[in-house]
Amino acid sequence: MTPAKRWLPFTLKIALLTLLLLWTLVPILWMVLSSFKPNSIITANTPRLLFTPTLEHYATLFSGGNSLWPYLTNSLLIAGTSTLIAVVLGCMAGFGLSRIRIKGKQHLAFWIISTRMAPIAAVIVPLYLLFRYLYLLDTHIGLIVAYLSFNLPFAIWLMTAFFDDLPPDLEEAAMIDGATKFQAFRLVVLPLMTPGLVTTAILCFIFAWNDYAFAQTFSGPGTQTIPIAAAQLLTQTGIDWGKLLAIGTIVVCPMAIAGLLVKRWLVKGLTLGAVK
Amino acid sequence: MMSPALFLLALITLVPFFSIIWMSFNDVSLMGGLSMTFSGLDNWQRVFTDPDIRASWLISLVYFLSTVGLEMLIGTVMALLVYSLRRGSNIVISLLLIPMFIAPVIVGLLGRFMLDPSHGLYAWILNETGLFDGNILGSVGSAMAAVILMDVWEWTPLVALIVLAGLTSVPEDTLEAAEMDGANYRQKLLYIILPSISNILLVALLIRAMDAIRFFAIIFITTNGGPADSTKIIPIRLYDIAFRFFDLGYAAAVGITMLVFSILVANAFTKLLKRRESAS
Amino acid sequence: MTQFKRRDILKGMGGLAGLSLMGAGALRTALAQGMASDEAWQQASGTTIQFISENTPPTTAIAANLDAFKALTGITVNITEMQLGALVQKVALDFGAGRSAYDVIYADPYQVLAPYHRGLVDLNTFIKDGQQPVVPKGIEDFIPSQLAAAGRFENADALYALPYDCPTMIWIYRRDLFEKYRDQIRQDLGFDPMPTDDTTWEQYYQIAAWFSNGNASEVKYGTGHQAQQYDSLMCDFSNVLFAYGGSYFANGQQIGLYGTDSPGACQLTSDASLEAARFYQKLLKVAHPGSTSWDWTGVANAFQNGEFAMMPEWHEFAGSLESSDLKGKIGYAPLPKGPARSANLWGGTGIGINANASPEKQKAAWLFLVWATSPQTQLMGLKSQVGGGTPTRQSVYDMPEVKAASKPPTDMPNMLTADTMLIAWQDDHIGLRPKIPQWNEVDTVIFTELSKMLAGQMSPEETMQSAKQRIDRIVGA
Repeated sequence: MTPAKRWLPFTLKIALLTLLLLWTLVPILWMVLSSFKPNSIITANTPRLLFTPTLEHYATLFSGGNSLWPYLTNSLLIAGTSTLIAVVLGCMAGFGLSRIRIKGKQHLAFWIISTRMAPIAAVIVPLYLLFRYLYLLDTHIGLIVAYLSFNLPFAIWLMTAFFDDLPPDLEEAAMIDGATKFQAFRLVVLPLMTPGLVTTAILCFIFAWNDYAFAQTFSGPGTQTIPIAAAQLLTQTGIDWGKLLAIGTIVVCPMAIAGLLVKRWLVKGLTLGAVK
Repeated sequence: MMSPALFLLALITLVPFFSIIWMSFNDVSLMGGLSMTFSGLDNWQRVFTDPDIRASWLISLVYFLSTVGLEMLIGTVMALLVYSLRRGSNIVISLLLIPMFIAPVIVGLLGRFMLDPSHGLYAWILNETGLFDGNILGSVGSAMAAVILMDVWEWTPLVALIVLAGLTSVPEDTLEAAEMDGANYRQKLLYIILPSISNILLVALLIRAMDAIRFFAIIFITTNGGPADSTKIIPIRLYDIAFRFFDLGYAAAVGITMLVFSILVANAFTKLLKRRESAS
Repeated sequence: MTQFKRRDILKGMGGLAGLSLMGAGALRTALAQGMASDEAWQQASGTTIQFISENTPPTTAIAANLDAFKALTGITVNITEMQLGALVQKVALDFGAGRSAYDVIYADPYQVLAPYHRGLVDLNTFIKDGQQPVVPKGIEDFIPSQLAAAGRFENADALYALPYDCPTMIWIYRRDLFEKYRDQIRQDLGFDPMPTDDTTWEQYYQIAAWFSNGNASEVKYGTGHQAQQYDSLMCDFSNVLFAYGGSYFANGQQIGLYGTDSPGACQLTSDASLEAARFYQKLLKVAHPGSTSWDWTGVANAFQNGEFAMMPEWHEFAGSLESSDLKGKIGYAPLPKGPARSANLWGGTGIGINANASPEKQKAAWLFLVWATSPQTQLMGLKSQVGGGTPTRQSVYDMPEVKAASKPPTDMPNMLTADTMLIAWQDDHIGLRPKIPQWNEVDTVIFTELSKMLAGQMSPEETMQSAKQRIDRIVGA
């Protein structure tokens, strides 16, 4: 045990950690648990821990001609495609940006990252007008492009950080051995980039999957995503909490699992490479 | 290799960027089709004289300082606690990280669910323990506290994760030397640990600062700015102006001021990155 | 969300098919007289149209019966339901883009019709077109104040929407408690608490205070209000404002019925308006403290839970209240009167057609409008288990079975309010907010400033002064 680690009485430390774990997990567990309760128990005045679990909320979500399926497929299709494009283009641009030596590179890098920081509320209006001219409203392509507006700069920046960690000697050696630049990239560099690519892909997917503001503005009857389905359950005459919690569980669980899968590289991803 | 990405990025960012600047000098109307009438500096004059905008920036500031402050504080404590664990630190940090993968709109809905005055678990606990018996999201002070805590709940794990990464760089030999000299934990924390993670704390701070002004879904779905405008942060105000009042020219001007703020933060961020690079 | 609700219906009714067939058959017979022929109804067969609607009870009932419409016309209707705020955004952007993502529009008179009526088709085109099925019983059958308020702008020429729903604020009270404590209240306060045409807001206040003082063991408070910083607060206040003779703009009733582009200066600082604000502040001080966090749903839930004895509330909540534990214990009356009159704020909406839609879709949309607002469909809505609004047509209220349902026991709980409503919708009882294009912004000012008043941050005078200043800037007066 290193000295840095001995600093608080053991019991106090455990107590604090337990408190933090409770603070973090209680809402999530309560959501998942309640999604298996009948509505009468969900809205009862006193919380109940014991109940006969029911799958009715999930069943109503997924059965019949009008179900959550279209929302789910829209979400998967849109988030998936925008992730794919962001990762492919981001990987290429990231490699280029990492290796290139030009004047003004910093300005270029700054421009890229600043596009990602634009406040969503400020971007929606002009994007809307642009989409209108391009007939992209209520299309899958429209939302994919909208998500690229934040995922592409993110992917470029993050991949640049990953490529920066990889010494150029490797591909240079390959090129000396007669490989073209592209071959060196594909055969030598890319295989080493798997963690970077996976991390970028998963984070891009989570950002797109979780978006509400863009989807709410650019989607139409045929392109609504799951967060929209959740928000639509807030109706004038009350909220159907059972279904809402079921949707919440569906939205949250896969992303939490995916996120934890890349936990090792998460720090780099979420700090855009600022932390090595 | 960069050109396809940069071309696409330019298209989806520059076109909106220049159109938003142009819009800010126009009176934009959607009624009977889109139309613009040049209005000079009218919108800009309003941005700087509108008391509601000023109030919203002030609320944003409070929201911003409270969320980012609490997240830094709790996140650092969280990281130090996890770092000090001999066993199980991996599983503990994994559990603690979950909130940051959750869609903000779901965080907001979950917050409403937990705080619902008639059946919310937290509302019930607060009521039973006699701590608070009003409607949390419906009263001026408590609504603000609630939306702040929801943001803290979601983003503290991110700070913890970043700080935890930084803690691995704390020089162990220095710590051991201090230990030999009889330093207690408080002294070690103040004079060795915190200084050596100060850079990374700054990174965490900037990351949160940028996102704090970007996202507004939590407040949007819980209080939407109320009660008595007490949670109307600037993005919510902008959303109102743009998508409830459709005063798009004015919205563009307000949006640009937010953009400028973000760019200042982004600038600080890249400067810091560069300094760290040259230092390492 | 339509989808989910439809699922409920299947469960609740044990099979939609039987009902739909019945619906289509009954409608066809009922409409047969005034209608060209089945061909008129089939003329847009095969078309698919989009209907965007607020998630309200009538649309839920319509969604449940779309099969009947499809059987009648061969038209497929996709319904997108969302909150009003989101709907207004979608529709406004749709108009701004010059497109028609949505063909049939739930045209809120204030947030959609007033600013965007130029984007809606003048329905007279279809009404006068001999090729189209006629509106059953003519548009004269719609309750006149509703037809003007929901369908017209600035004048009585063009008609942009047909009245679709009509929630209106009335006085909902615990009749059981009022009867139980009637003598005691009469002794203590010196008047009979049972609502009459002459009951005043001042008396309402005294009754509220009487209950709030712990005189009745059943309830803790006398009155509850929908006073959250939201549209609901403006609605709740407007009843008092109009009753006291105050108004938002000069010529209030005209601006309410027909609307205008330029309403002139705000009148909130008039003596009558100030008096109303003072009274409203006083009233809310004795109200249930939860009031400032409730919208219309919140206040209805609290009433249902027995938290207080009475409230001003939308009459359509009678449906859900009458299926709760309070069934049979509730009374309905027009709201009390002030120095000027009794005012019952109307919150109805019409449905209209997007002018950017293709001619073919417009035709299909018109068929849907006629069907959705027909007496038969409205009757169907009344019987629906899943919601359903209240009729906007006089002839439905005149139907013997509907008349019979206005007295308990009833299978149409919403009709228990029928007698009250027919009074509340009369020209001198209906309360109408200004129908102006800038309403959304003005509304926000009103409920924001009132919310500050109720939070104790401003006096009634400061509140009205501040509201007037802001509103005058918005409307350019």
